[in-house]
Amino acid sequence: MKNILLLCFLVSVELFSQGTELHVKQGSKNHVEFISDAPFGKFSGVTDNIDGYLYWEGNNYTTNSSLYFEVDLKTLDTGIGLRNRHMRENYLQTDKFPDASFKGKITNVTPAEQGSFNVDAEGEMFIHGITKNIKISGLLSKAENSDYNIKTNFTIKLSSYNIDIPSIMMVKLSEVIELKLNFNLFAVNKTEGKK
Amino acid sequence: MKSHSIIALMLLLFITLSMETNAQISWKKQETVDNLPLQLFHSPQSINLPTVETLQQGDFEFEISHRFLPSIKDGSKDLYGFDGPVNMRIALGYAVTDDLVLTLGRSNVDDNLDLRGKYRLLQFKETFLPLLIGVQFGIAKNTQTLKPVASPGRTYQYFGQIIFNTMINKKLGIGVVPSFLYNSNIYRSDVQNSFTLGMNAQYYFTNMFSVLAEFNPTVNGYLNRFNSAAFGIELETGGHFFKIILTNNAKLNPSQFLSGADKDFGTGEWRLGFNITRLLKF
Repeated sequence: MKNILLLCFLVSVELFSQGTELHVKQGSKNHVEFISDAPFGKFSGVTDNIDGYLYWEGNNYTTNSSLYFEVDLKTLDTGIGLRNRHMRENYLQTDKFPDASFKGKITNVTPAEQGSFNVDAEGEMFIHGITKNIKISGLLSKAENSDYNIKTNFTIKLSSYNIDIPSIMMVKLSEVIELKLNFNLFAVNKTEGKK
Repeated sequence: MKSHSIIALMLLLFITLSMETNAQISWKKQETVDNLPLQLFHSPQSINLPTVETLQQGDFEFEISHRFLPSIKDGSKDLYGFDGPVNMRIALGYAVTDDLVLTLGRSNVDDNLDLRGKYRLLQFKETFLPLLIGVQFGIAKNTQTLKPVASPGRTYQYFGQIIFNTMINKKLGIGVVPSFLYNSNIYRSDVQNSFTLGMNAQYYFTNMFSVLAEFNPTVNGYLNRFNSAAFGIELETGGHFFKIILTNNAKLNPSQFLSGADKDFGTGEWRLGFNITRLLKF
Protein backbone atom coordinates (compact mmCIF):
# COMPACT_ATOMS: atom_id res chain seq x y z
CA MET A 1 0.00 0.00 0.00
CA LYS A 2 2.82 2.39 0.84
CA ASN A 3 4.25 1.73 -2.60
CA ILE A 4 0.99 2.70 -4.24
CA LEU A 5 0.86 5.92 -2.26
CA LEU A 6 4.44 6.71 -3.24
CA LEU A 7 3.69 5.94 -6.88
CA CYS A 8 0.64 8.15 -6.73
CA PHE A 9 2.70 10.97 -5.23
CA LEU A 10 5.39 10.60 -7.87
CA VAL A 11 2.84 10.62 -10.67
CA SER A 12 1.31 13.81 -9.35
CA VAL A 13 4.73 15.51 -9.09
CA GLU A 14 5.51 14.32 -12.59
CA LEU A 15 2.27 15.80 -13.89
CA PHE A 16 2.97 19.15 -12.25
CA SER A 17 6.45 19.50 -13.62
CA GLN A 18 5.46 18.52 -17.11
CA GLY A 19 4.01 21.78 -18.40
CA THR A 20 5.77 25.06 -18.93
CA GLU A 21 3.64 28.09 -18.40
CA LEU A 22 4.81 31.60 -19.18
CA HIS A 23 2.97 34.69 -18.04
CA VAL A 24 3.38 38.19 -19.37
CA LYS A 25 5.64 40.05 -17.00
CA GLN A 26 3.88 43.22 -15.89
CA GLY A 27 5.99 46.26 -15.26
CA SER A 28 8.69 45.16 -17.68
CA LYS A 29 9.26 47.08 -20.87
CA ASN A 30 6.39 45.60 -22.84
CA HIS A 31 5.65 47.30 -26.10
CA VAL A 32 2.56 46.96 -28.25
CA GLU A 33 2.33 49.29 -31.20
CA PHE A 34 0.10 49.77 -34.20
CA ILE A 35 1.30 51.72 -37.19
CA SER A 36 -0.98 53.29 -39.76
CA ASP A 37 1.04 54.29 -42.79
CA ALA A 38 -1.33 56.21 -45.05
CA PRO A 39 0.00 58.19 -48.03
CA PHE A 40 -0.32 61.56 -46.31
CA GLY A 41 0.01 60.74 -42.68
CA LYS A 42 1.80 58.10 -40.71
CA PHE A 43 1.04 57.69 -37.06
CA SER A 44 1.22 55.05 -34.43
CA GLY A 45 -0.35 54.14 -31.13
CA VAL A 46 1.49 52.55 -28.24
CA THR A 47 0.61 50.76 -25.03
CA ASP A 48 2.39 48.51 -22.57
CA ASN A 49 -0.86 47.02 -21.37
CA ILE A 50 -0.61 43.41 -22.52
CA ASP A 51 -1.41 40.33 -20.47
CA GLY A 52 -1.75 36.60 -21.07
CA TYR A 53 0.07 33.30 -21.09
CA LEU A 54 1.86 30.74 -23.21
CA TYR A 55 1.73 27.06 -22.24
CA TRP A 56 3.16 23.85 -23.56
CA GLU A 57 4.09 20.40 -22.30
CA GLY A 58 7.25 18.45 -22.85
CA ASN A 59 10.12 19.57 -25.00
CA ASN A 60 8.63 20.05 -28.41
CA TYR A 61 6.48 23.10 -27.54
CA THR A 62 3.49 21.93 -29.55
CA THR A 63 2.10 19.23 -27.22
CA ASN A 64 -1.07 20.44 -25.56
CA SER A 65 0.05 23.97 -26.22
CA SER A 66 -2.21 26.91 -25.69
CA LEU A 67 -1.78 30.63 -25.61
CA TYR A 68 -3.82 33.68 -24.91
CA PHE A 69 -2.78 37.32 -25.08
CA GLU A 70 -4.90 40.41 -24.66
CA VAL A 71 -4.23 44.10 -25.10
CA ASP A 72 -6.21 46.82 -23.35
CA LEU A 73 -7.16 49.07 -26.26
CA LYS A 74 -8.33 51.89 -23.98
CA THR A 75 -4.72 52.55 -23.06
CA LEU A 76 -3.46 53.03 -26.63
CA ASP A 77 -1.82 56.42 -26.95
CA THR A 78 -1.34 58.03 -30.34
CA GLY A 79 0.21 61.15 -28.86
CA ILE A 80 -2.82 63.38 -29.41
CA GLY A 81 -5.68 63.40 -26.92
CA LEU A 82 -8.49 64.04 -29.39
CA ARG A 83 -7.19 61.35 -31.74
CA ASN A 84 -7.11 58.88 -28.84
CA ARG A 85 -10.69 59.73 -28.04
CA HIS A 86 -11.81 59.37 -31.65
CA MET A 87 -10.02 56.03 -31.83
CA ARG A 88 -11.68 54.79 -28.66
CA GLU A 89 -15.16 56.11 -29.22
CA ASN A 90 -15.61 56.24 -32.99
CA TYR A 91 -13.57 53.36 -34.36
CA LEU A 92 -12.64 50.75 -31.75
CA GLN A 93 -15.68 51.34 -29.50
CA THR A 94 -13.69 50.38 -26.44
CA ASP A 95 -16.64 50.78 -24.08
CA LYS A 96 -18.12 47.68 -25.78
CA PHE A 97 -14.89 45.92 -26.74
CA PRO A 98 -12.16 47.00 -24.35
CA ASP A 99 -9.64 44.30 -25.31
CA ALA A 100 -8.14 42.84 -28.44
CA SER A 101 -7.10 39.25 -27.91
CA PHE A 102 -5.43 36.32 -29.61
CA LYS A 103 -6.25 32.80 -28.45
CA GLY A 104 -4.71 29.75 -30.02
CA LYS A 105 -1.99 27.17 -30.01
CA ILE A 106 1.54 26.64 -31.18
CA THR A 107 1.66 24.82 -34.50
CA ASN A 108 5.35 24.74 -35.33
CA VAL A 109 8.67 25.62 -33.73
CA THR A 110 12.01 25.88 -35.46
CA PRO A 111 15.28 26.85 -33.82
CA ALA A 112 16.63 30.27 -34.71
CA GLU A 113 19.83 32.08 -33.80
CA GLN A 114 21.23 32.22 -30.29
CA GLY A 115 18.92 29.82 -28.58
CA SER A 116 15.75 31.48 -29.75
CA PHE A 117 12.92 29.90 -31.65
CA ASN A 118 10.65 30.85 -34.50
CA VAL A 119 7.22 30.02 -33.25
CA ASP A 120 4.17 29.69 -35.48
CA ALA A 121 0.82 30.04 -33.83
CA GLU A 122 -2.69 29.67 -35.10
CA GLY A 123 -5.86 30.86 -33.46
CA GLU A 124 -8.62 33.37 -33.09
CA MET A 125 -7.94 37.08 -33.24
CA PHE A 126 -10.66 39.12 -31.57
CA ILE A 127 -10.88 42.82 -32.35
CA HIS A 128 -13.91 45.13 -32.29
CA GLY A 129 -16.35 42.28 -31.71
CA ILE A 130 -15.13 40.28 -34.70
CA THR A 131 -13.28 36.96 -34.44
CA LYS A 132 -10.98 35.85 -37.27
CA ASN A 133 -8.83 32.76 -37.60
CA ILE A 134 -5.30 33.84 -38.35
CA LYS A 135 -1.72 32.60 -38.21
CA ILE A 136 1.00 34.59 -36.51
CA SER A 137 4.70 33.95 -36.35
CA GLY A 138 6.99 35.27 -33.69
CA LEU A 139 10.38 34.91 -32.14
CA LEU A 140 10.57 33.38 -28.67
CA SER A 141 13.86 33.83 -26.90
CA LYS A 142 15.13 32.95 -23.49
CA ALA A 143 16.38 35.87 -21.46
CA GLU A 144 17.99 36.07 -18.03
CA ASN A 145 16.77 34.00 -15.12
CA SER A 146 13.56 32.31 -16.10
CA ASP A 147 12.42 35.14 -18.32
CA TYR A 148 11.43 34.95 -21.94
CA ASN A 149 10.81 37.47 -24.66
CA ILE A 150 8.41 37.42 -27.60
CA LYS A 151 8.76 39.60 -30.66
CA THR A 152 6.22 39.56 -33.43
CA ASN A 153 5.21 41.74 -36.37
CA PHE A 154 2.14 41.19 -38.46
CA THR A 155 -0.56 43.10 -40.25
CA ILE A 156 -4.32 43.20 -40.04
CA LYS A 157 -6.92 44.71 -42.34
CA LEU A 158 -9.32 47.10 -40.67
CA SER A 159 -12.19 46.00 -42.92
CA SER A 160 -11.80 42.42 -41.66
CA TYR A 161 -12.79 43.66 -38.22
CA ASN A 162 -15.57 46.00 -39.34
CA ILE A 163 -13.57 49.08 -38.41
CA ASP A 164 -14.66 51.87 -40.69
CA ILE A 165 -11.95 53.94 -42.19
CA PRO A 166 -13.03 57.50 -41.54
CA SER A 167 -14.08 59.09 -44.77
CA ILE A 168 -14.05 62.48 -43.10
CA MET A 169 -11.60 64.94 -44.48
CA MET A 170 -8.25 65.23 -42.79
CA VAL A 171 -8.31 61.82 -41.19
CA LYS A 172 -5.76 59.59 -42.79
CA LEU A 173 -5.86 56.00 -41.76
CA SER A 174 -4.37 53.09 -43.62
CA GLU A 175 -6.54 50.07 -44.44
CA VAL A 176 -3.64 47.80 -43.52
CA ILE A 177 -2.41 48.28 -39.98
CA GLU A 178 0.99 47.02 -38.96
CA LEU A 179 1.26 45.58 -35.47
CA LYS A 180 4.52 45.31 -33.58
CA LEU A 181 4.75 43.52 -30.27
CA ASN A 182 7.76 43.03 -28.07
CA PHE A 183 7.06 41.80 -24.56
CA ASN A 184 8.50 39.80 -21.73
CA LEU A 185 7.29 36.73 -19.93
CA PHE A 186 8.34 34.76 -16.91
CA ALA A 187 8.02 31.05 -16.26
CA VAL A 188 5.51 30.15 -13.61
CA ASN A 189 6.98 27.69 -11.14
CA LYS A 190 4.30 25.02 -10.91
CA THR A 191 5.60 23.24 -7.83
CA GLU A 192 5.39 26.43 -5.84
CA GLY A 193 1.74 26.80 -6.67
CA LYS A 194 -0.01 29.57 -8.46
CA LYS A 195 1.60 32.83 -9.17
CA MET B 1 -5.55 0.37 9.09
CA LYS B 2 -6.30 -0.87 5.63
CA SER B 3 -9.46 1.18 5.30
CA HIS B 4 -7.50 4.27 6.40
CA SER B 5 -5.00 3.63 3.68
CA ILE B 6 -7.69 3.38 1.05
CA ILE B 7 -9.28 6.62 2.21
CA ALA B 8 -5.88 8.28 2.17
CA LEU B 9 -5.23 6.95 -1.31
CA MET B 10 -8.57 8.17 -2.59
CA LEU B 11 -8.00 11.52 -0.99
CA LEU B 12 -4.58 11.83 -2.56
CA LEU B 13 -5.96 10.82 -5.95
CA PHE B 14 -8.71 13.35 -5.60
CA ILE B 15 -6.27 16.10 -4.65
CA THR B 16 -3.98 15.09 -7.48
CA LEU B 17 -6.74 15.20 -10.04
CA SER B 18 -8.26 18.44 -8.82
CA MET B 19 -4.85 20.12 -8.63
CA GLU B 20 -3.99 18.81 -12.03
CA THR B 21 -6.98 20.46 -13.67
CA ASN B 22 -6.15 23.70 -11.90
CA ALA B 23 -2.48 23.46 -12.65
CA GLN B 24 -3.15 23.18 -16.36
CA ILE B 25 -3.26 26.95 -16.80
CA SER B 26 -2.80 29.12 -13.76
CA TRP B 27 -3.08 32.43 -15.59
CA LYS B 28 -6.14 34.44 -14.61
CA LYS B 29 -7.65 37.40 -16.40
CA GLN B 30 -7.23 40.58 -14.40
CA GLU B 31 -10.15 42.92 -14.05
CA THR B 32 -9.24 45.91 -16.15
CA VAL B 33 -9.54 49.21 -14.39
CA ASP B 34 -10.86 52.14 -16.35
CA ASN B 35 -8.44 54.92 -15.55
CA LEU B 36 -9.53 57.12 -18.40
CA PRO B 37 -10.63 60.60 -17.46
CA LEU B 38 -14.33 61.25 -17.95
CA GLN B 39 -14.99 63.05 -21.22
CA LEU B 40 -18.38 64.47 -22.09
CA PHE B 41 -18.52 67.30 -24.61
CA HIS B 42 -16.26 66.77 -27.60
CA SER B 43 -14.98 70.31 -27.96
CA PRO B 44 -13.24 72.40 -25.25
CA GLN B 45 -15.79 75.14 -25.86
CA SER B 46 -19.41 75.50 -26.79
CA ILE B 47 -20.02 78.66 -28.83
CA ASN B 48 -18.69 81.24 -26.41
CA LEU B 49 -19.01 79.35 -23.15
CA PRO B 50 -16.31 76.89 -22.12
CA THR B 51 -16.84 73.19 -21.51
CA VAL B 52 -14.75 71.25 -19.00
CA GLU B 53 -12.93 69.43 -21.81
CA THR B 54 -9.21 70.07 -21.91
CA LEU B 55 -6.42 68.91 -24.18
CA GLN B 56 -3.81 66.25 -23.64
CA GLN B 57 -0.62 67.53 -22.07
CA GLY B 58 1.56 69.13 -24.73
CA ASP B 59 -1.26 69.62 -27.26
CA PHE B 60 -1.87 73.06 -28.77
CA GLU B 61 -5.17 74.33 -30.08
CA PHE B 62 -5.42 77.19 -32.52
CA GLU B 63 -8.69 79.08 -32.79
CA ILE B 64 -9.97 81.53 -35.33
CA SER B 65 -13.47 82.91 -34.94
CA HIS B 66 -15.52 85.55 -36.74
CA ARG B 67 -18.78 87.35 -36.01
CA PHE B 68 -20.21 89.24 -38.96
CA LEU B 69 -21.74 92.49 -37.75
CA PRO B 70 -24.64 93.10 -40.17
CA SER B 71 -27.57 90.96 -39.11
CA ILE B 72 -29.04 88.37 -41.45
CA LYS B 73 -32.17 90.52 -41.39
CA ASP B 74 -30.37 92.97 -43.67
CA GLY B 75 -30.47 90.24 -46.25
CA SER B 76 -28.57 90.02 -49.48
CA LYS B 77 -27.59 93.70 -49.37
CA ASP B 78 -24.73 92.79 -47.01
CA LEU B 79 -24.71 89.18 -48.18
CA TYR B 80 -26.16 88.12 -44.83
CA GLY B 81 -23.22 89.68 -43.05
CA PHE B 82 -20.34 88.45 -45.16
CA ASP B 83 -19.69 91.95 -46.51
CA GLY B 84 -18.60 92.86 -43.02
CA PRO B 85 -17.42 94.56 -40.93
CA VAL B 86 -16.40 91.63 -38.79
CA ASN B 87 -15.27 90.98 -35.24
CA MET B 88 -12.58 88.38 -35.02
CA ARG B 89 -10.58 86.46 -32.49
CA ILE B 90 -7.45 84.41 -32.84
CA ALA B 91 -6.14 82.35 -29.97
CA LEU B 92 -3.67 79.67 -29.12
CA GLY B 93 -4.18 77.25 -26.25
CA TYR B 94 -1.59 75.00 -24.68
CA ALA B 95 -2.15 72.09 -22.33
CA VAL B 96 0.33 72.46 -19.46
CA THR B 97 -1.02 69.25 -17.97
CA ASP B 98 -3.91 66.98 -18.93
CA ASP B 99 -6.08 69.10 -16.63
CA LEU B 100 -4.83 72.65 -17.27
CA VAL B 101 -5.08 74.62 -20.49
CA LEU B 102 -3.68 78.13 -20.87
CA THR B 103 -5.03 80.20 -23.76
CA LEU B 104 -3.82 83.50 -25.14
CA GLY B 105 -6.34 85.22 -27.38
CA ARG B 106 -6.69 88.46 -29.25
CA SER B 107 -9.80 90.18 -30.53
CA ASN B 108 -9.91 93.20 -32.81
CA VAL B 109 -12.54 94.82 -30.56
CA ASP B 110 -10.55 97.34 -28.49
CA ASP B 111 -7.57 95.16 -29.41
CA ASN B 112 -8.52 93.01 -26.47
CA LEU B 113 -5.81 90.59 -25.40
CA ASP B 114 -6.81 87.89 -22.96
CA LEU B 115 -5.02 85.19 -21.06
CA ARG B 116 -7.10 82.53 -19.43
CA GLY B 117 -6.55 79.29 -17.64
CA LYS B 118 -9.02 76.46 -17.48
CA TYR B 119 -8.70 73.71 -14.93
CA ARG B 120 -10.49 70.39 -14.88
CA LEU B 121 -11.37 70.09 -11.22
CA LEU B 122 -13.63 67.12 -10.45
CA GLN B 123 -15.25 64.18 -12.16
CA PHE B 124 -18.07 61.94 -11.03
CA LYS B 125 -18.29 58.85 -13.19
CA GLU B 126 -20.53 56.58 -11.17
CA THR B 127 -23.33 59.00 -10.41
CA PHE B 128 -26.80 58.82 -11.98
CA LEU B 129 -25.59 61.28 -14.58
CA PRO B 130 -21.86 61.76 -15.13
CA LEU B 131 -20.65 65.13 -13.90
CA LEU B 132 -17.61 67.18 -14.70
CA ILE B 133 -16.69 70.36 -12.87
CA GLY B 134 -14.11 72.83 -14.06
CA VAL B 135 -13.07 76.41 -13.41
CA GLN B 136 -11.80 79.12 -15.70
CA PHE B 137 -10.13 82.37 -14.78
CA GLY B 138 -8.91 85.07 -17.09
CA ILE B 139 -7.41 88.50 -17.36
CA ALA B 140 -7.95 90.77 -20.34
CA LYS B 141 -6.23 93.96 -21.41
CA ASN B 142 -7.81 96.34 -23.90
CA THR B 143 -4.65 97.51 -25.59
CA GLN B 144 -6.19 100.18 -27.83
CA THR B 145 -9.35 101.88 -26.66
CA LEU B 146 -11.62 103.94 -28.89
CA LYS B 147 -12.29 106.49 -26.16
CA PRO B 148 -10.25 107.46 -23.10
CA VAL B 149 -10.87 105.37 -19.96
CA ALA B 150 -11.05 106.71 -16.38
CA SER B 151 -7.65 105.38 -15.36
CA PRO B 152 -5.02 103.13 -16.95
CA GLY B 153 -6.10 100.27 -14.65
CA ARG B 154 -9.55 100.37 -16.22
CA THR B 155 -8.25 98.84 -19.42
CA TYR B 156 -7.94 95.56 -17.51
CA GLN B 157 -10.82 93.16 -17.03
CA TYR B 158 -11.03 89.96 -14.98
CA PHE B 159 -13.38 87.05 -15.19
CA GLY B 160 -14.08 83.76 -13.48
CA GLN B 161 -16.35 80.89 -14.41
CA ILE B 162 -17.41 77.61 -12.84
CA ILE B 163 -18.31 74.99 -15.40
CA PHE B 164 -20.74 72.12 -14.73
CA ASN B 165 -21.12 69.58 -17.52
CA THR B 166 -23.20 66.48 -17.79
CA MET B 167 -24.29 64.23 -20.61
CA ILE B 168 -27.39 62.14 -21.13
CA ASN B 169 -27.07 58.91 -23.06
CA LYS B 170 -23.77 60.03 -24.65
CA LYS B 171 -25.86 62.20 -26.95
CA LEU B 172 -27.12 65.27 -25.15
CA GLY B 173 -24.53 67.37 -23.40
CA ILE B 174 -25.70 70.01 -20.94
CA GLY B 175 -23.64 72.76 -19.37
CA VAL B 176 -24.26 75.34 -16.67
CA VAL B 177 -21.66 78.06 -16.42
CA PRO B 178 -22.11 80.70 -13.70
CA SER B 179 -19.78 83.53 -14.62
CA PHE B 180 -18.46 86.72 -13.07
CA LEU B 181 -16.94 89.61 -14.97
CA TYR B 182 -15.15 92.52 -13.32
CA ASN B 183 -15.11 95.84 -15.20
CA SER B 184 -17.79 94.91 -17.70
CA ASN B 185 -17.74 98.25 -19.49
CA ILE B 186 -14.32 99.86 -19.56
CA TYR B 187 -15.74 103.22 -20.71
CA ARG B 188 -18.06 103.76 -17.74
CA SER B 189 -16.71 106.18 -15.12
CA ASP B 190 -17.34 103.68 -12.31
CA VAL B 191 -16.46 99.98 -12.37
CA GLN B 192 -19.26 97.70 -13.55
CA ASN B 193 -19.55 93.99 -12.73
CA SER B 194 -21.72 91.30 -14.22
CA PHE B 195 -22.98 87.96 -12.93
CA THR B 196 -24.34 85.72 -15.63
CA LEU B 197 -25.77 82.22 -15.63
CA GLY B 198 -24.57 80.63 -18.83
CA MET B 199 -26.34 77.56 -20.12
CA ASN B 200 -25.51 75.44 -23.11
CA ALA B 201 -26.77 72.25 -24.68
CA GLN B 202 -25.44 70.17 -27.52
CA TYR B 203 -26.98 67.18 -29.22
CA TYR B 204 -24.66 64.80 -31.05
CA PHE B 205 -26.47 63.21 -33.99
CA THR B 206 -23.33 61.33 -35.01
CA ASN B 207 -19.73 61.27 -33.94
CA MET B 208 -19.04 64.16 -36.26
CA PHE B 209 -22.21 66.20 -36.46
CA SER B 210 -24.02 68.00 -33.66
CA VAL B 211 -26.29 70.96 -33.04
CA LEU B 212 -25.73 73.32 -30.15
CA ALA B 213 -27.32 76.28 -28.42
CA GLU B 214 -26.32 78.72 -25.74
CA PHE B 215 -28.04 81.24 -23.49
CA ASN B 216 -26.20 83.58 -21.19
CA PRO B 217 -28.62 85.72 -19.16
CA THR B 218 -27.25 88.37 -16.84
CA VAL B 219 -28.68 87.70 -13.40
CA ASN B 220 -27.09 90.64 -11.62
CA GLY B 221 -25.07 93.71 -12.48
CA TYR B 222 -24.23 95.38 -15.75
CA LEU B 223 -25.92 94.27 -18.93
CA ASN B 224 -25.10 95.70 -22.33
CA ARG B 225 -28.71 95.91 -23.53
CA PHE B 226 -29.69 92.24 -24.17
CA ASN B 227 -29.04 88.75 -22.89
CA SER B 228 -26.93 86.69 -25.24
CA ALA B 229 -28.26 83.74 -27.19
CA ALA B 230 -26.69 81.66 -29.92
CA PHE B 231 -27.29 78.44 -31.78
CA GLY B 232 -25.66 76.55 -34.59
CA ILE B 233 -24.07 73.39 -35.87
CA GLU B 234 -20.75 71.75 -35.16
CA LEU B 235 -18.72 69.56 -37.47
CA GLU B 236 -15.91 67.55 -36.03
CA THR B 237 -13.10 66.01 -38.02
CA GLY B 238 -9.74 64.49 -37.14
CA GLY B 239 -8.33 67.62 -35.56
CA HIS B 240 -10.86 70.34 -36.24
CA PHE B 241 -14.07 71.66 -34.81
CA PHE B 242 -16.09 73.83 -37.20
CA LYS B 243 -18.99 75.74 -35.75
CA ILE B 244 -21.36 77.81 -37.85
CA ILE B 245 -23.66 79.83 -35.68
CA LEU B 246 -26.22 82.59 -35.36
CA THR B 247 -25.93 84.94 -32.39
CA ASN B 248 -27.13 88.32 -31.17
CA ASN B 249 -23.79 88.97 -29.45
CA ALA B 250 -20.93 89.80 -31.80
CA LYS B 251 -18.26 89.83 -29.09
CA LEU B 252 -15.79 87.00 -28.92
CA ASN B 253 -13.33 87.39 -26.08
CA PRO B 254 -14.83 86.26 -22.76
CA SER B 255 -14.42 89.64 -21.04
CA GLN B 256 -16.38 91.29 -23.83
CA PHE B 257 -18.92 88.55 -24.49
CA LEU B 258 -19.97 88.23 -20.84
CA SER B 259 -21.11 91.87 -20.67
CA GLY B 260 -24.10 91.07 -22.89
CA ALA B 261 -25.41 91.54 -26.42
CA ASP B 262 -26.15 94.72 -28.32
CA LYS B 263 -28.86 93.24 -30.56
CA ASP B 264 -32.26 91.84 -29.72
CA PHE B 265 -32.75 88.33 -30.99
CA GLY B 266 -36.47 88.75 -30.30
CA THR B 267 -36.64 90.99 -33.36
CA GLY B 268 -34.63 88.55 -35.46
CA GLU B 269 -31.36 90.45 -35.35
CA TRP B 270 -29.20 87.37 -35.66
CA ARG B 271 -25.65 87.53 -36.93
CA LEU B 272 -23.68 84.86 -38.66
CA GLY B 273 -20.44 83.66 -37.19
CA PHE B 274 -18.07 80.77 -37.10
CA ASN B 275 -15.47 79.22 -34.83
CA ILE B 276 -12.75 77.01 -36.20
CA THR B 277 -10.31 75.25 -33.94
CA ARG B 278 -7.40 73.14 -35.01
CA LEU B 279 -5.50 70.80 -32.76
CA LEU B 280 -1.75 71.01 -33.14
CA LYS B 281 1.09 68.89 -31.87
CA PHE B 282 4.70 69.79 -32.41
